[in-house]
Amino acid sequence: MGDRFDVVVIGAGPAGSSAAYNLAKRGFKVALIERGRKPGSKNMFGGRVYAKPLEEAFDGLDKAPIHRWVVKERLSIVNGEEYVTLEYSGSGGKSFTTYLTDLTDWMASKAVDAGATLITEVVVDRLLIRDGRVAGIVSGSDELEADVVVDAEGVNRLVLEKSGLVERLTPRHVALGVKEVIKVEKGDIEKFFGLGEDEGLAWVFMGSVSDGLPGGGFFYTNRDSLSLGLVIYLEKAVEGMKRHIYDMVEDLRIGPLFSKYVENGRVMEYSAHMIPADPRAIRPPRLVWDGLLVTGDAAGLLINMGYTYRGVDTAAYSGMLAAKAIEEAEGDYSASSLKRYEEMLMKSYVGRDLEKFKGVHDLYMNPRLFKEYPILLTGLLRRLYEFDYGGYRLSEAFSEARRGLVSLPRIILDLLEVYRKL
Amino acid sequence: MSSQAAGERKRRKIRLEDLLNNNIWDVDPRPHIRLDTSKCRDCNYKPCVLLCPTGCYTTHGDDVLFSYEGCVECGTCRVVCPEEAITWEYPRSGRGIHFRFS
Repeated sequence: MGDRFDVVVIGAGPAGSSAAYNLAKRGFKVALIERGRKPGSKNMFGGRVYAKPLEEAFDGLDKAPIHRWVVKERLSIVNGEEYVTLEYSGSGGKSFTTYLTDLTDWMASKAVDAGATLITEVVVDRLLIRDGRVAGIVSGSDELEADVVVDAEGVNRLVLEKSGLVERLTPRHVALGVKEVIKVEKGDIEKFFGLGEDEGLAWVFMGSVSDGLPGGGFFYTNRDSLSLGLVIYLEKAVEGMKRHIYDMVEDLRIGPLFSKYVENGRVMEYSAHMIPADPRAIRPPRLVWDGLLVTGDAAGLLINMGYTYRGVDTAAYSGMLAAKAIEEAEGDYSASSLKRYEEMLMKSYVGRDLEKFKGVHDLYMNPRLFKEYPILLTGLLRRLYEFDYGGYRLSEAFSEARRGLVSLPRIILDLLEVYRKL
Repeated sequence: MSSQAAGERKRRKIRLEDLLNNNIWDVDPRPHIRLDTSKCRDCNYKPCVLLCPTGCYTTHGDDVLFSYEGCVECGTCRVVCPEEAITWEYPRSGRGIHFRFS
């Protein structure tokens, strides 16, 4: 490699490409290092991105590979063949669906256009440490020196772990997402969901789909394909899995909610990726060291709001703030100088929402949310809607549905918990 | 075939190996995962077997059999292994999974 750079960025994902783009724009000599054949080839997500923070991180988002703007949101509580759905239709336009592989490639191309040097097919093995500070990166027998390094290596963060800056990931830190992308006929999505040609649907669901384990499913409409998948929190899954995760995802595809949409479709790709889970557990003790800033999933910057996830926008935003902090450091890349990055990040919507929604993870560890309550809710609505002669009053249906399942005081306590944490 | 029979056929699961055939890999001839199988015999739950999305881990009696070729590099096996029996690296220089529509 040989050349010397002002900044080396590890990983051309949403965080790294954003950092590289915003640094190159400010005149820094940047190397953006990606282990894949091209940017995006190792990236995977559920299916949607919130646009506003991305617009701030990248100019010209209107030229990005956007599939559909989400105008319809669905939330379903599932119990076997039965499910209860809440649907919201609004003006939309705040988030869009896409393939993260394409969006990431676009982000990296923006960085390259701004002057960053993209180096693909290089795995960073560890940080180059000199005189107790980060001075570049090491890949095999190659060293690449830089004044400062931005770590955007993603959720597995092997580099940080090998450098002893974070502890080894445990099941509490992460959740596993598995997805099928299914090609459908042109026009099917508009027909199925009553959408315009650039309008999209986002659908999340929980209950029996995760076999009672903390987790849930997602379904997004892309241009002419559907993304269908499942997230399982590993903390409870290590001992709680009843069958193979592939079986659980396939049961979604052929199950009552989705088979009618995908039965004429063709699977295009089967992918999996981990996401940060408990934000307090996975956040590194600090996000800056002498000569190093940590961004994106490696920094645990994923926000689970309970009914939607945000990770791509927060990653890109953190990359942008890392670039700002590097500029403001004016050559002093000590931890105390780079601390500005952590301060800006925590004061931004990313830090505020991480704090605001930190309790959601505790809520997710309540097993009743995924087992007893879906049974209760579907049982209640079944009694209200399905009758031959005499019907139920709400209170009758409720007490019958919850009989033997969960006590009234327990429900009240859990509801209070949901109210406090969501 | 009647339309009902076609519907039944469509509602059957796709085999995992057929699902994986939709993906593109450039397999690193040098395994990027190493498994110390001697640690697997005494492992009670063997969580890697049900949690590896691509089925890289299977059981044979008390033993765990393993292949790295279908790995999509999610890293789950390393995290869930209670015995820390898995040495897990990324495949070298652009090898491994190549996502296109994810």
